Amino acid sequence: MASNNGGPWGTGGGGNRPTGPGGDNRGGDNRNGGRRPGDQPQIPEIEDMLNKGNEYLKVLMGGKGGGGGRSGGSDGDGPGMSKGVIALVVLGAVGLWAFSSFYTVKPEEQSVELFLGKFSKIGNPGLNFAPWPVVSYEKVVVTGERTETVGLAGSGGSGMMLTTDANIVDIDFQVVWNINDPAKFLFNLSDPVQTVQAVSEASMREIIAASTLAPILNRDRGVIADRAFELIQSTLDSYDSGITVIRVNLDKADPPTDVINAFRDVQAAEQERDRLQRQADAYANTALAGARGSAAQILEEAEGYRAQVVNAAKGEASRFSAVLTEYQNAPEVTRKRLYLEAMEEVYGGLDKIILDDNAASGQGVVPYLPLNELRKSTTTGGSN
Amino acid sequence: MKKLPIFIAVLFVAAVLAFSSFFVVDERQKALVLQFGQIKAVKEEPGLSFKIPFIQDVVYYDDRILSLETPEIEVTPSDDRRLLVDSFARYRIADVVKFRQAVSTGGIRLAEDRLKGILNAQLREVLGADTITSNTIISAERASLALRIRDKSRIEAASLGIDIMDVRLKQTFLPEQNLEATFARMRAEREREAADERARGAEAAQRVRAQADRTVVELKSDASRQAEITRGEADAEKNRIYADAYGADPDFFEFYRSLDAYRKGLNGENTTMVISPDSEFFDYLKSNSGR
Repeated sequence: MASNNGGPWGTGGGGNRPTGPGGDNRGGDNRNGGRRPGDQPQIPEIEDMLNKGNEYLKVLMGGKGGGGGRSGGSDGDGPGMSKGVIALVVLGAVGLWAFSSFYTVKPEEQSVELFLGKFSKIGNPGLNFAPWPVVSYEKVVVTGERTETVGLAGSGGSGMMLTTDANIVDIDFQVVWNINDPAKFLFNLSDPVQTVQAVSEASMREIIAASTLAPILNRDRGVIADRAFELIQSTLDSYDSGITVIRVNLDKADPPTDVINAFRDVQAAEQERDRLQRQADAYANTALAGARGSAAQILEEAEGYRAQVVNAAKGEASRFSAVLTEYQNAPEVTRKRLYLEAMEEVYGGLDKIILDDNAASGQGVVPYLPLNELRKSTTTGGSN
Repeated sequence: MKKLPIFIAVLFVAAVLAFSSFFVVDERQKALVLQFGQIKAVKEEPGLSFKIPFIQDVVYYDDRILSLETPEIEVTPSDDRRLLVDSFARYRIADVVKFRQAVSTGGIRLAEDRLKGILNAQLREVLGADTITSNTIISAERASLALRIRDKSRIEAASLGIDIMDVRLKQTFLPEQNLEATFARMRAEREREAADERARGAEAAQRVRAQADRTVVELKSDASRQAEITRGEADAEKNRIYADAYGADPDFFEFYRSLDAYRKGLNGENTTMVISPDSEFFDYLKSNSGR
């Protein structure tokens, strides 16, 4: 810009008045204004154009704090006006230059500045200065996390991967990354997003290809995410990409939908196995408890029997012993008494028919005893 | 005052000359200066350079790492199981002069076509080699196979002025036709596992039940055994007690016990007795002096 600006300024000023280009612009304009009218008619088309916008420009000039003298000059004649116009053009050019040279870097960004195409510095958040056109800059969002998804429908790459035991597993994962070095990021990779995507997919497939199916589905999920993380990072580092992988989220590691029912059935079978075992355990517990109860009952009954039998025997024995002692004191009497008491009792309760043998045989007839009728009479209440 | 148009003309010419003689090579680029198609200078470093205006042209090339993905191809490893393979390569234009000579004005597009050809050929060659089976491809050796493809492709790509930095196998998957068979096998494996689980469950359950039944029988029979012992002991005790007591006077025992037996054995409910008055009980029935 300096050279572009300096060209017309230098020649214009150099011919008539050697004022430094960095000097007071307005002062220069005013002083030149007096000497330049002669030049003006030679560029009439510009002059015409400028004249048409005269009023408008005047207002603008006034607004910018131009001196009254200059305004007067402009009003007075065309050439005086054109000086102001040139000043305005220059001013606009400077403004434009400043506008394209100063730039702001937002907090989440960094900028990379190139001096004549060569990397010069990293610009930090805030107002930065990159004089156009020798310094160009590019802003890069560095702190923002970016996410590449592999495996989901619509995202890059299919999630179906082959394991080393020739099974297929459906994997969805996300790689979250950001930029640690904006210069490397810009200068080393032509297509960083696509690179992260491709490297992620290739790394995951490489890891899955080296593993068997079963551990992927459950216990090695964390390990796989960690290994993918390391592999992706080291690959990106080998490209000097300036990219940091923040984390790898393994969203899904499932059998493919075509076979998932079979896998679920295995889980169902595992639970069924468990259920069968528990049911059997319940049965065993019930049966064993019942058996222990029965066994206890059998034992207790036996003990009861023992007590009953022994007690009965003891009682009977002691009764006998008591009677015996009594008997021994007076054998004859006691014996007779016991006999009579017993007979009394026995005969007392019996249906009895006393039949005199001698009487019966004396008549020489066998007596007829209607036993059934006799018995009947006793049951109907008759007493004998 | 005729200076201004001259000045502007000069300025214009100067600007045109400046614009056509200076050029900036960006950090991301390399450039060749061509004079009527002939390479005059190579600009590999970024910065401001000069060329002869109008006569010389500048061609820029990307100096960053470029990516290339090969389309899916089917390879047949030595065990005849076909696999769909695609790969990606990361490469750099290392030698712009060679690159220009190789692809001429075709640029990066032509170079990519050539590279794809090289990569596919190497993929087929390396993955189809005699010692390589599909199991080798789908294993931890995958990375080293990719390295081998890279090394071989690199030699060929060097003639294009291209340095292949990295080749990775992306997809190594089964063709559509083989997919269903694999799914069927996976299902069969799971079914086997499920059946095994269920059978083991039934086995364990049956074992537990049988053990329980056996224990029940053991417990009960053991209890019965002890009960019989107890009863036997009780009976023995009873007999001993009786023997002790009755042994003191067997004769009286006989008499006493008989009387007891009569009491219990003969009762009014079901007995009718026809008695002769000659019995001892009736000694005084007929006379007070007895018989």
